Amino acid sequence: MSAPAVTRDHAISLGFFLFLGLAWEFGVRWSGVQSYLLPPPSAILAELWQSRGPILAQSLVTLTEVFWGFIIAVALGVPIAALIFFSRTAKRTVYPLFVALQSIPKIGLAPLIVVWFGYGLTSKLIMAFLFAFFPIIISTLGGLASTPAHLEEHFRALRASPMQSFWRLRVPAALPSFLDGCKVAMPLAVIGAVVGEFVGSNDGLGNLILTASGSGHTTLTFAALIAVTMMSLILFYSVAYWERFIWWRAA
Amino acid sequence: MSGVISIADVGKAFGDLRVLGNVSADIAAAEFVSVLGPSGCGKSTLLRLIAGLTPFEEGSIRFNDAEVTAPSPEMGFVFQTSNLLPWLTVRDNLLLGVDLDAAVQRPSDAVFAELVETLGLTGFEASHPHQLSGGMRHRVAIGQALARNPQVLLMDEPFGALDALTRDRLNMELLRIWQRDRKTVVLVTHSISEAVLLSDRVLVMSERPGTIIEDVRIDLPRPRDPSVTREDPAFGDYVVRLSKLMGVL
Repeated sequence: MSAPAVTRDHAISLGFFLFLGLAWEFGVRWSGVQSYLLPPPSAILAELWQSRGPILAQSLVTLTEVFWGFIIAVALGVPIAALIFFSRTAKRTVYPLFVALQSIPKIGLAPLIVVWFGYGLTSKLIMAFLFAFFPIIISTLGGLASTPAHLEEHFRALRASPMQSFWRLRVPAALPSFLDGCKVAMPLAVIGAVVGEFVGSNDGLGNLILTASGSGHTTLTFAALIAVTMMSLILFYSVAYWERFIWWRAA
Repeated sequence: MSGVISIADVGKAFGDLRVLGNVSADIAAAEFVSVLGPSGCGKSTLLRLIAGLTPFEEGSIRFNDAEVTAPSPEMGFVFQTSNLLPWLTVRDNLLLGVDLDAAVQRPSDAVFAELVETLGLTGFEASHPHQLSGGMRHRVAIGQALARNPQVLLMDEPFGALDALTRDRLNMELLRIWQRDRKTVVLVTHSISEAVLLSDRVLVMSERPGTIIEDVRIDLPRPRDPSVTREDPAFGDYVVRLSKLMGVL
């Protein structure tokens, strides 16, 4: 695409969202909807700026939970997926166990997790982990299984050892699918952490949303929601960034 | 010189499907042998048995007087699909068979540079496979087998997926490399003219279960080039004879 065309595309997107924002702003003003029900975007933006201190502080709490929940999901999910892939026993024991666990509504688990692990970081980290874990396992499994049979045979013809075939064929071949799993898992980890904060927490953006809406402070609720959304977007794109290093998915 | 393959009474079945029966052939060192047969006659399977890629119980295959049980560092296999690793550069793909196999000696820089030159890949060493044309990818695949400097080159319809023009050019390059290095080559193909143009001998296989129904020696002068196909009447005679054996005439 040529440079002017790209600029034009950007202008179209920008114009569209500007239009939506303006429609909201003036819709609220002219219709006389009470601002504790639906505040205009200008009020939300003002709130975001005014409360930037607490919002940033609470964002950092949620970010910490999400970060560790996601890291642990990857650190445990990848080896467990490899185990399930290579061991028939694990495929018949560990795998159905995780499928069954995945089928439990995790929101329903949240109160239990809070009872077990308290109001601090741990319970939220576990919630983020629980949401992110399954997509990591499934995508890693899918990636490991996606090595074409003709390449496996090729590696045998080149007398590659099983370890060489794993590290130099299966792992790179699995990376695109694994990264897709991470892209799904990251926003889920954010949801997990916020749900955990809803259920039992003294801080975090989820807690901020809950307390603000509970006290009729709707603009702050919206501001916190925007903060969660921004965080989720930034985290998603920081995962998607790594796609450029595995360009071969398209090849 | 080594590179001798001896096939005796080999048969192979996959479950109830019998693909090969009673195949016997002796292939001398530095000989260029084509295996010609209809689709599904088991010629690719035969090549995999020779390579030690597919286990078999019936009969025996000996390579340099040792029973074939597993892939050998002295054999290079060129598959039907070019099988390059998309995440490796041309250079790393060419050297993959050297890197993975501890029994294979790494070519010197000079030898490697010459190989790259011969294959017309100079300047593309740092490219990735998706940046290459189909013909170039197949050259890399052949180069990967050659970089191991094997005694034997086993080729499974290596140019089957390419257009006729690219195919002819690669055949000529293959012939040039063979005339220089004198490796034993076993080429599986279903192109009659390709088999006649390239080979010292053509083994003609029957329908499945495949067996060798005729061993045709091609006595055309070497070095050969595509003009042979038009100018030497003997070429046409061979094509006619093989076509009749294959049942297409």
